Amino acid sequence: MSDFMIQIEHLHKTYRSGFLMKPKLALKDVSFSVEPGQVYGFIGPNGAGKSTTIKVLTGLLNFDSGKVLVNGISPRDAKSRRFIGYSPEQPYFYDYLTGRELLRFYGKLVGLDGTELESRIGWALELLHANKDWIDRRLRSYSKGMMQRVGIAQAILGKPKLLILDEPMSGLDPMGRRDVREAIQQLNRDGVTIFYSSHLLSDVESISHKVAMIVDGKIVREGTVDEITESCGVEYHVRTRKAILGEDLPQGVSLTGHPEEFVCEDDAARDRLLAYCLSNGIAVEKMDHKRPSLEDILTEEIARADA
Amino acid sequence: MQTLKHILIIAHNTFRESIRDKILYNIVFLAIALTLFSIVLGEWSVFDRSYVIKSTTLSVMSLSGLLISIFVGISLVQKEIQRRTVLTLLSKPISRVTFIVGKYFGLLAVIAVHLAILTCIFYTMLLAFHAEPTANLLLAIYLIFCEMAVVIAVALLFSSFSSTVLSALFTLGVYFAGHLSNQLLEQVRFASRMGEMGDTSTALFEKMAVVIHAVFPGLYRYNVTSYVVHNVALPDMYLFWNTVYALGYVGVFLAIASWWFSRRDFL
Repeated sequence: MSDFMIQIEHLHKTYRSGFLMKPKLALKDVSFSVEPGQVYGFIGPNGAGKSTTIKVLTGLLNFDSGKVLVNGISPRDAKSRRFIGYSPEQPYFYDYLTGRELLRFYGKLVGLDGTELESRIGWALELLHANKDWIDRRLRSYSKGMMQRVGIAQAILGKPKLLILDEPMSGLDPMGRRDVREAIQQLNRDGVTIFYSSHLLSDVESISHKVAMIVDGKIVREGTVDEITESCGVEYHVRTRKAILGEDLPQGVSLTGHPEEFVCEDDAARDRLLAYCLSNGIAVEKMDHKRPSLEDILTEEIARADA
Repeated sequence: MQTLKHILIIAHNTFRESIRDKILYNIVFLAIALTLFSIVLGEWSVFDRSYVIKSTTLSVMSLSGLLISIFVGISLVQKEIQRRTVLTLLSKPISRVTFIVGKYFGLLAVIAVHLAILTCIFYTMLLAFHAEPTANLLLAIYLIFCEMAVVIAVALLFSSFSSTVLSALFTLGVYFAGHLSNQLLEQVRFASRMGEMGDTSTALFEKMAVVIHAVFPGLYRYNVTSYVVHNVALPDMYLFWNTVYALGYVGVFLAIASWWFSRRDFL
């Protein structure tokens, strides 16, 4: 067994479009790895290369150069997909089938049959809270949320070691998002490695062990949520009982707009402000530290890439 | 073994998808209507009624098979790509070759059922009108099936890399070229023998006719209507060699389709 469930090194992918086959570099030297048992979030703006990377992993896209391994096997080899469950963004299915018929079809393709197939379907539907009447209706009558649940259900039928989900929470209402989030966590507890892309950064922060941020085809940050946010520095918000005049403020400290509230840009500025308060007999009422959120960092990275 | 199972699952789903296609029903009902109309044609014609019913129905079988291959077959692969159902399907542990071969057999099963329905109607009509329902008509129907097996492979080949309209036009082109290539070669050689063309143009036209004859599948081989309606025996091993010939072309076309499909990116 491979040390990594996903291993990508120096991956490049170019799309060619139009009559002249004009090239557009979609992935530029992308490298990261996912260890077994991790929940790995993959975030970035639209068109950054998230779905392209996912489709390379699932063998739906060829790539120009680099090394891509899924559980130690190249995605160009159909064997690599024995370990994978995949649900695409906005999944589309054969709308002449019912949800249950569709799951039977995909279940057979991953080697399930008979009572084992039926029990796996029941289990998947239960996990996603989809064991309802609508599962026996034709897919053409499904809402986006129902389709999303069926999409994830077909992906987990074959007991995959690696579950790849492209925007699994898009189109879901808050209840649906909670169900999917809980399903991801449950599957992970059962030993499934999860690799997923999402725009919902609060969900990513809450459930991911590790996160990679991709902007304009390049990985700009990778690590745990703490590692990423700490690497961007911590701000301190201090409130005092007495106002401090602007010209008296220590270096690195600024007013927030309120004369008794200050922002310290780093640890040193915080220490300087506290020393100033101590020496001038100013009581400190409250002090919070604030890390930038993934959203702040992503916004900053997008602005940097645009610049 | 696993691959065979996957092919069967995809073929079954393709069959299920096709039989829900309205276009298929239109073609099947048109074919049935034309088959029944052959009775009226037999009455109007100066030829023997039995001859008219048999030759008309066999032609209807071939043409309706062609229409199914084009209108249902080509859209099968294109629909998978356009509706993006191919993304989920190809993320399963199946190769793209399996996908193409499964689609092929699914459509072949549709053609088989279509021909079986028309055959039942055909024999019922022949029995009802005492029009010599001989067993050798089944040989002609079998050869139509072989012809359609080649046409479906052609349709899948083109639909693996081009649009629906272009695939339909290319498939029609191959169908007509395959039916006319022998006649074209004979005509060019005849004109050459009769000295109706200059030396340069003779050589050029003959080479072109030889290339067309060699490259395109000789679908004219599968039209044995004139033999069977007149109860003329087919040459020995005719069925065997033409089955092998069809299998050869199907193999080559599916191999190229699979190779091309394997190189495709699915966005």
